[in-house]
Amino acid sequence: MYDLAVVGGGIHGASVALFAARGGMNVVLLEAGALARQASGTNAGTLTMQMTRAALIPYALKAHEMWVNAPHWLGHDVGVVACDGLSLAFTEAEEQLLSERAKARSAAGAPINLVTKAEATRIEPGVNPSIRMASHCAIDGYANAYLTGLAYRRALRDAGVTIREYTPVTGLAASGKGYEIRLAQKAIAASQVVLTGGVWLEPMLKWLDIQLPIKTLVNQLSVTERTGPVMRTVLGIASGLLSLKQFPHGTVVIGGGWQGEGRRETNYHRTTHDSTVGNARLAVHAIPALRNTRLVRSWTGFEAETADALPIVGPVPGHPGVWVSGSVHSGYTSAPYIAHCLTQAILGHHPEMPLFPMDRLLANSTPEAAHFPPKSQ
Amino acid sequence: MTESFDLLVIGAGPAGGEAALSAASAGLNVALIDEGPAAGGQVWRAPRTAKAKRSRAQDPDRERGDDLRARLAASSIKIFYATQVWDARPGFRVSCVSDAGAKELNAPCLVLATGAIERVLPFEGWTTPGVFGLAAATAVMKAEKALFGQDIVIAGQGPLLIAVAAKACELGLRPRAIIDRASRSDWLRAAVGFAGVPSMLITGARWMSQLALAGIPYHRGSEVIRANGDNALQSIVMSNLDSGATEEIEADTLYVGNGLTPADELHRLLGAAQTADGLRGGYRTIRDDRCRSSVPNLYVAGDGAGVYGALPSAIQGQIAGLSAARDHGALTEAQFSARVKEPRRKLRRLEKFGDASCRLMQFPQDVTTHVSAETIICRCEDVTHADIHAAIDDGAQDLNQLKHFTRLGMGPCQGRMCGLTAAAILNHRNPGPKTDTRLTPRAPVRPIEMNQLIGDFDYDDIPVPKPAPL
Repeated sequence: MYDLAVVGGGIHGASVALFAARGGMNVVLLEAGALARQASGTNAGTLTMQMTRAALIPYALKAHEMWVNAPHWLGHDVGVVACDGLSLAFTEAEEQLLSERAKARSAAGAPINLVTKAEATRIEPGVNPSIRMASHCAIDGYANAYLTGLAYRRALRDAGVTIREYTPVTGLAASGKGYEIRLAQKAIAASQVVLTGGVWLEPMLKWLDIQLPIKTLVNQLSVTERTGPVMRTVLGIASGLLSLKQFPHGTVVIGGGWQGEGRRETNYHRTTHDSTVGNARLAVHAIPALRNTRLVRSWTGFEAETADALPIVGPVPGHPGVWVSGSVHSGYTSAPYIAHCLTQAILGHHPEMPLFPMDRLLANSTPEAAHFPPKSQ
Repeated sequence: MTESFDLLVIGAGPAGGEAALSAASAGLNVALIDEGPAAGGQVWRAPRTAKAKRSRAQDPDRERGDDLRARLAASSIKIFYATQVWDARPGFRVSCVSDAGAKELNAPCLVLATGAIERVLPFEGWTTPGVFGLAAATAVMKAEKALFGQDIVIAGQGPLLIAVAAKACELGLRPRAIIDRASRSDWLRAAVGFAGVPSMLITGARWMSQLALAGIPYHRGSEVIRANGDNALQSIVMSNLDSGATEEIEADTLYVGNGLTPADELHRLLGAAQTADGLRGGYRTIRDDRCRSSVPNLYVAGDGAGVYGALPSAIQGQIAGLSAARDHGALTEAQFSARVKEPRRKLRRLEKFGDASCRLMQFPQDVTTHVSAETIICRCEDVTHADIHAAIDDGAQDLNQLKHFTRLGMGPCQGRMCGLTAAAILNHRNPGPKTDTRLTPRAPVRPIEMNQLIGDFDYDDIPVPKPAPL
């Protein structure tokens, strides 16, 4: 019998498993495929405040600090680089949007300020001279998302977490003092369970007869071959539909949430012609030197979104000892800190910052949800 | 920009060229797309330089290619040369780029005739400048009637080895050695299969005797195990497969190849069912006797669906084109049956010939006999043999994880050169039943010039999606 079973081995599940094990729990991490091979390993790795929802800025700031210090607490390198971030405005309408958004995020604590074209060009010499203005954030950067699985695998192993990859969970039911987690062949038992299945949280919650729609976004990304230095910042545009950065090895990753096509039910997702061309055009418009590069790969990943586009992080109402964490907008950036707070609650402590209970999204909110944080066991 | 047709054919080599012609002859509105400047593919490649165009040397591949190019030029087929296909989606929607920018071509039926790429068994120093593929040698000789290098060694396996060696001699070069993994008895066994196509047997025998007459040292049952030189090749070391005896040969250029593997990225992107088949180059795409894949209205022909060689590919192409015309309603069942009868008969004979060549080209099982820990396996990203083992030690169980852990396959070739080799290392370390251990296929299937992809545009015309929530 485990103290804690974590269902879903992405960045959220892996972080909760790691912190819970370090907190003294006997933890099993169950993953249908390989660790961090879905959204957590295929996202753009952007660690930015300028694409984060205002309500999440305080969490993202804490998490950014964690990412920068990853070698200390994670023990392994995820290729994190901290740098300046710029969000660009090319039109009058974008100037207005940028001002509004900078103001809201700045009020939430992000060190964002509007800068002139001259100042923006000084910060990012590669930028298109036709920009009108930009918003600047000194706290920005990126990780090499594809290293997430490797880094966490090493850390989890060191912390004594039982890692069960290629082990799909088929169901969950209360049993004795805890829960029975059903696998294809047999079942395992745990006192507490955390569901961290990304877009698959919707089918997971159905195991407990909870209907909570999770929208599946199919975000697509492209990468150039290695090229000489063309930029030094993380770039976005006012609407948020561009993320652009050059990694130390010279490749430039182009993203921003342009939609591919696909379905969660079949785990099928792929890029589209129009999004590939449109996103590339936007990237070249921002950094004209990219016109002379070659695109070598594009790919897609699922991002989960709730009805209000805010996270569900906290206890599952009506099922004491079952927790959920996911649908965190810009979830990769904030994940380590959100997991830290959730793990505090699981360990029976008061979380450092408030969680995001899912009750608000349920049609018939159950009374158990009022008991939060849970009484220590 | 979008254009629509009855049938799209990707690849204008023997298979694609014939597929387009047979479908057009049945009345379909056909578009044929090829990345090269002319039809012919690799084997029937068109001459490019004035010198190569003037050449009157006896060359059946050139004659077949000229014939195909003449028939295509006289046809109603819309041909897109110098056009790179980078994606294909069900429906079918095919994404391409050219100097004219990006466009989508649409059709209810699609023939994939994408050809093969060469495999090279890695050995110490195989990334040294001066080491080239056999396929590169044939491409340059066919297009330019020239070959780079003074002191050249030609090594590897299969018919391509002999073809390159004989043609190098025709150009006046004198290879210092030919190093063939196959033994005399391997070739004799193959000759039985070649006998079904006398013209090819005669061509092969002529090449062999030319090499013998020229007195070129021919090492059978041997392979290159090391290339020496820092920034330029200085010598190679070969080893006898049986005795293990080694010999060093000075050389400034090595041409080496170990057979072919299907260029099947589009087949995989479209979800066509495949099966492992070492004789056909690794994996082949499953098809019925009408060249229909498991995906409705997707037809596959030629080496891209499983390596058989140019002549069987051309016939497969004819059948695929007729099959598409039948399914599109341009031919009745009776008309189709009448028209495929002769090609099918020919195909049975030619496929036996193809089998014999493929056996000579079959890739060795153990891919790491001649590599050290420091030998680079992924040439784009400098991932060494030791890096791969370290990643497996770290828990990588499939090729996608290996890619994430090491960057293997993330460079311009996207794993085409190293993928099967790395999979073999992985499978050797993790024995047991295997599923498909290849990298997930991704668009673009070849690197695309950003300039061609984006073309000219106005910022205001970019369809930027609505802003993300604040």
